[in-house]
Amino acid sequence: MRLSPLWANKANNMLFSSISFLYYFLPVVLGLYFIAPGKFKNFILLVASLFFYFYGEPVYSLLMVASIVSGYLHGLWINRARGGRCAKIPLVSSIIVSIGFLVFFKYTDFFIENVNSIFGTNIALLKIIMPIGISFYTFQILSYTIDVYRGEAKVQRNILNFATYVSLFPQLIAGPIVRYTDIEAELAHRTHSFADIAYGINRFIMGLAKKVIIANTLGELGKVFSNANEKTVLFYWINAIAFMLQIYFDFSGYSDMAIGLGRIFGFHFLENFNYPFISKSLAEFWRRWHMSLGTWFRDYVYIPMGGNRVSKPRWIWNISVVWFLTGFWHGAQWNFIIWGLYYAVLLILEKHLFNKLLEKLHPAARHIYVMFFLVISFVIFNANSINEALVNLKGMFFMLDVPFTSFETNYYLGSYALVMTIAVIGATPAAKGIISRINRYNMGRLALSVFEPAVHVALFLLVTGYLVDGSFNPFLYFRF
Amino acid sequence: MKNIVVTLCFIIILSGFMAANAIVPDNEFSFSERRKLSEIPEFSLEKLLSGDLFEEFEEYALDQFVLRDVFRGIKAIGRYYLFNQKDNNKIYIVDGNISKMEYPLDERSVFNAAKKLNDIYTRYLQGTNVSYAIIPDKNYFLASQNGYLSMDYDRLVEIMNQNVKNMKYIDLFSVLSIEDYYRTDIHWSQDRIIHVADVLLKELGNEARASGVQYSREEMYPFNGSFYGQAALRLEPDIMVYLTNDIIENAVVYDHIDKTYSKVYMHDRFGTIDSYDFFLSGARSLITVLNPACTTGRELILFRDSFGSSIAPLLLEGYSKITLVDLRYFGTELLGDYIDFTEGQDILFLYNTQILNKSAMLK
Repeated sequence: MRLSPLWANKANNMLFSSISFLYYFLPVVLGLYFIAPGKFKNFILLVASLFFYFYGEPVYSLLMVASIVSGYLHGLWINRARGGRCAKIPLVSSIIVSIGFLVFFKYTDFFIENVNSIFGTNIALLKIIMPIGISFYTFQILSYTIDVYRGEAKVQRNILNFATYVSLFPQLIAGPIVRYTDIEAELAHRTHSFADIAYGINRFIMGLAKKVIIANTLGELGKVFSNANEKTVLFYWINAIAFMLQIYFDFSGYSDMAIGLGRIFGFHFLENFNYPFISKSLAEFWRRWHMSLGTWFRDYVYIPMGGNRVSKPRWIWNISVVWFLTGFWHGAQWNFIIWGLYYAVLLILEKHLFNKLLEKLHPAARHIYVMFFLVISFVIFNANSINEALVNLKGMFFMLDVPFTSFETNYYLGSYALVMTIAVIGATPAAKGIISRINRYNMGRLALSVFEPAVHVALFLLVTGYLVDGSFNPFLYFRF
Repeated sequence: MKNIVVTLCFIIILSGFMAANAIVPDNEFSFSERRKLSEIPEFSLEKLLSGDLFEEFEEYALDQFVLRDVFRGIKAIGRYYLFNQKDNNKIYIVDGNISKMEYPLDERSVFNAAKKLNDIYTRYLQGTNVSYAIIPDKNYFLASQNGYLSMDYDRLVEIMNQNVKNMKYIDLFSVLSIEDYYRTDIHWSQDRIIHVADVLLKELGNEARASGVQYSREEMYPFNGSFYGQAALRLEPDIMVYLTNDIIENAVVYDHIDKTYSKVYMHDRFGTIDSYDFFLSGARSLITVLNPACTTGRELILFRDSFGSSIAPLLLEGYSKITLVDLRYFGTELLGDYIDFTEGQDILFLYNTQILNKSAMLK
């Protein structure tokens, strides 16, 4: 038997939005979890989580176990060294090990490519396939060791509980980045109720529908655009807007599923999205989008660097570093770095130049301002290269020799118009507002108590139909 | 109470389908999708560690999911009616007529098809009476009129006409209409193409006419064509009609590859994974239909796709022998080993537009 190198194995992760997860893995895990006595529940979750990861990353499971052991031992070491002269050494060691794994498996080939490009060398690429979820669980482990060092978290002496925290399958591979302190108490003791389970189920199904019905459908439109016979200005715009909506429904859908599954198992994960597209400034957008990543960089990078309580040049430097890292965290490609720095520049300008002007503008104009820069940012984000991003941007702004529209463009616009409209409305709190209004009335509450479960059952069966008729459809954030 | 109901519903759906998947025996074939379904993967340590085992299991879980066709139908309803999408996996329906978008025109493929015809002419057919005809697919009649995408048929014909040398072009676009095709299938219906057979016979210089022949009209039901399964909706099946008479019934079909003899109409093929195999046993790389009732000795070599299977019986009136070559399954370089090309033969290339647009499949 010949095995491939550790990093050359394929990634085939079990998705929440897969038949194997929904109709094989989940019922078995739920059954075992709720049958098991309280003290065995974490063990069940750990075994399930390790199997969940092993399913997609058989060999990389060893890397995750190594990361867990490293995080656990470093936590103990940091706690032991506390107050001593060398208290920082275990923390630095923890950061080097965790970031070392991340850099090696995620960024090595990027660095080699750039060294080859700059110095004309011919160093062979390692062709490393990135372990799924490494960016997420690495940041979770770091949040633990740093918080233990700061005294904000108690050291976890029970390795079972710590391993459960790191590997917890609901949020293992695409977040949200759950801080150890957020679920520290629930790892030791948590309660279960039908209210929590039902909330978790509803949240999970809504996330599943967002992913499978909306995001995947919009993803098809992106593929259609890539293979289009004739690209047009309108099609460049449709593609850009569709991707912006797709990534929101894909990622927020995953977060909904993670939060829902967590709630079923008694965990209360923090929200990761808060209707980001209703923002009226870019700063507000980033307070509403991928909140767990934003707060992670704020608490573990930006504030330790001095935050905004420094001189203006230093603050600009801090912002630039944070956004460079945010971009680079998303992927080992220059377009992600440019995407991060694009936000650094915009946020600096917004705070010091546009802010007063923005406040005077009509809310609709502010909204258009945010949407305009967001669309451009997601074109950069979505591109496989800087050149591709430039071509797509040129196409949007009449800088390519393409017609405004065509029969083909109009066909796809017509075919996807309703899905895009639903996506736009679904990205706002409109539905939530309507439900809360209905809930004010007794009759409304009664109607909802029947209507809501019926809709969720229908959505679940519809999702199953989409899955059965579909094929492999990984989440976009798996690659980060 | 509501929370308990939600929880119970969820558990029942998950565990119910899990149990059903475990209990219900696996299917070997999907008749609606006309393909073999995945089987449960065999375990090996190598496959486990490489991830192949779970990848295969994913395919298996999708393929063997209980009520798979029902769920595919739910998805189709969702796309067409809930989300107002125009097509589902490129399948669209106009007034109960199902078709699959073939778009865009692949000009390189059409050039390649023309070159393939020229190569065969140069190698085997010089001095013979050679014609070619193109069968429009259903999209020619349905797509653009109803707002769907279709290939540029004018350009396709233009490329063929400009590049195919030494062959006479027989126009079929102007003699066909959407009513000549099955609603649930890609193919034309035999009872609707007698006039097409007449056009071909006339253009090939054959005095016989299918319209002058007495046929008995037979019907078979239900005929769920190839698009029926792909549409995944419960639509009215077609009636398969075939025309027969003593000439056709007494004709003998010889398969040069299997070296077997059979009949023109294969009744046991109706109701199988592809009922259109009823005509000349479907996809066969090289067969000859011998017509003892025709004593003229006239011979036709028909390079064809599956459309040729149903029109060949209508051409029998004018030929003692029709050899059908399917270049999708038979290499050009082997033709000389099996067929004696002589000057008196009529040669017809009869392909539908979708084959020309994917001509890489022609060997």
